[in-house]
Amino acid sequence: MTYLTLDAVDCDGAIRESLDAVRGDTRAGFLAKAGLFGGGALGGTALLGLTAEAASAATAESDVAILNFALTLEYLEAAFYTEAERMLDLSGELALFTRVVAAHERAHVSALKKVLGSKAVKKPKFNFRGTTESESKFRATAQVLEDTGVRAYKGQAPLIKSNAILGAALAIHAVEARHASWIRDLNDAPPAPTAFDQPLSRSAVLAAVAKTRFIVPGKSTGGRRTTGAASPPFTG
Amino acid sequence: MTEVITVDLVDREGGVREALDEGRGATRAQLFRRAIIGGGTFLAGGLLIGGLPKLALGAPSASQDVEILNFALLLEYLESEFYIEAVAKNAIGGETLAFAKVVRDHENAHVAFLKDALGSRARAKPQFDFMDTTSNPDKFRATSIALEDTGVAAYNGQGPNLTKPTLAVAGMIVSVEARHAAWIRRITGKPRYGGSAANYPAPSVLEPSLTRAQVEAAVGKTGFIKG
Amino acid sequence: MTAARGASDIRRGGLTAVLVMLLGLSAEVPSAGAADPFQLSEPGKLSHWAFVERTTVARTHPRHSARAVSRLATMTPERTQNLVLALERVEVQGRLWLRVRLPVLPNGTTGWIPRDHVGSYHAVRTHLIVDTTKRTARLERSGRTVFRARIGVGKPRWPTPHGEFFVRNRLRGFQDTTYGPLAFGTNARSAVLTDWPGGGFIGIHGTNQPGLLPGRVSHGCIRMRNADILRLDRKMPVGTPLTVR
Repeated sequence: MTYLTLDAVDCDGAIRESLDAVRGDTRAGFLAKAGLFGGGALGGTALLGLTAEAASAATAESDVAILNFALTLEYLEAAFYTEAERMLDLSGELALFTRVVAAHERAHVSALKKVLGSKAVKKPKFNFRGTTESESKFRATAQVLEDTGVRAYKGQAPLIKSNAILGAALAIHAVEARHASWIRDLNDAPPAPTAFDQPLSRSAVLAAVAKTRFIVPGKSTGGRRTTGAASPPFTG
Repeated sequence: MTEVITVDLVDREGGVREALDEGRGATRAQLFRRAIIGGGTFLAGGLLIGGLPKLALGAPSASQDVEILNFALLLEYLESEFYIEAVAKNAIGGETLAFAKVVRDHENAHVAFLKDALGSRARAKPQFDFMDTTSNPDKFRATSIALEDTGVAAYNGQGPNLTKPTLAVAGMIVSVEARHAAWIRRITGKPRYGGSAANYPAPSVLEPSLTRAQVEAAVGKTGFIKG
Repeated sequence: MTAARGASDIRRGGLTAVLVMLLGLSAEVPSAGAADPFQLSEPGKLSHWAFVERTTVARTHPRHSARAVSRLATMTPERTQNLVLALERVEVQGRLWLRVRLPVLPNGTTGWIPRDHVGSYHAVRTHLIVDTTKRTARLERSGRTVFRARIGVGKPRWPTPHGEFFVRNRLRGFQDTTYGPLAFGTNARSAVLTDWPGGGFIGIHGTNQPGLLPGRVSHGCIRMRNADILRLDRKMPVGTPLTVR
């Protein structure tokens, strides 16, 4: 089943115009947002109407903390899927899932970094401890990461002060829920196990992440670790 | 994402029905395209549903929460009756039936929860006519996708208008609707989804949201709500 | 692995195992058995190395009962953190194993170590190719040559060994000008100078006798002009695969 795109049916722009009128947006604004539909990559500097400048100037400290918490989780998911794409011989729909979700998470990272500007936390170093190197471990870990991401966004949403940032968080939250449903179904697990999904507090999420030991202390690969000052013992 | 358009695929004038009947050899995309170009008008302004007054939305408040939750309850009534009828008619099978049963139970739980939360202020359940969308498996799946996608977009659109406690509750429901949406999309399109990202369980980087007027217009177009 | 097989692994407890892992306990994930090895190094295209995070034993086969080939410590004799070039990976009964190049004789020896004894992978796209007949060293990155130099190699008595190796550390700031300003350590060993102090490892380094180059001049090491070794240092990360022919 293919779904018609707005372009395919809106021969004379009548649909766009009526939607624009309903939303009160400019045509340019609506079309920019329409570009987000259909799985395309996030372009430009605007995230649902936020610009980095506007966000940084007016953003409450607590909202910055929430965005950085979200960014950390997105860094982790993006790195996990990106590494799995490289390190596993995936095929079929699991390969498609991985490619699509990796792109989504990378786009989430880009979007959150743009909103945070100079306040964005740095990308941590990761060690996925074999979960990107075994298909069965990958499937199971992806499922847990997505379910946890949904619970994390859900836990933070009521704490967000800015409506624009809340809109962005809800937009990401729903996509993570779709990811979770998709990988569960791929794993023969119930896509929607309960009628109500439960939130998880930030501290509980961070504790769960810490237990994985996926985030490792950052040390550079150069410098003292691989460079020494000993006199060469080589045969010469 | 084309939530608004796909709801309109369920054409109250019967254009889709006609197209499906005659076009057995055509691809589904061709059938729906025929139905749309041949079918009725789109989105001619916002259609008010169920006599609810159009609100000028102000800052979050308890009374506004009631208004918005009643809007959500209407959508949940619609979904729950749709799935109840589809399961009862027994014209769907396999994974689609398994999906319908689980989602029916979830939507029933959402209805019960919202009615309980709203108490005496809960709106009445309207009458519905789902035509053959509950007895034709392809139409059922298309309609389910549209309803679930629209439900997510509706909740997300209202999120910023809710008080925080009500937002927390809505948050527990919206992700389940998103799971439903991904699930029925998967049933419908796996494993390759016609090679189109628009058909994926997760078609977008960011979930779109719809205003209340857009949701009302889209749902109004279906003709499901009778009174 | 087919999707169906993967899914049934989950049903058989894979998810439980990961949840248990997330809770900090250890568990085996039952698996359908070893699939084809996954290649981790294609010199000059994309290779992977990792730090040795705990002392480990490399074995002839990916199982704990296989014969031990060599111990791998977390530090090199030069007190840098030890690293291994990872060649391939298999999963056997839910455990991941890597086949790695070992710093032992005979040259070219590899062995299997548990994946979780080394850290996360570092990728390198460079490849150093040394030709002992032509006395040249060439560094390739993603298939393009980015560095060339004329070199000195081992005298006929003490030949620079041929084969596949890797660069395992870098030394700098030492006082011995025989080696120039900078030396790279490799896992290659002299096959003849087996009781050289330190084990007879082959290095790549500068020289205080540039006039001898190019030629067969050393006890096995690969020597280049000091300017060349400094130039190479800017382009060649530790972990780079080394081919000597």
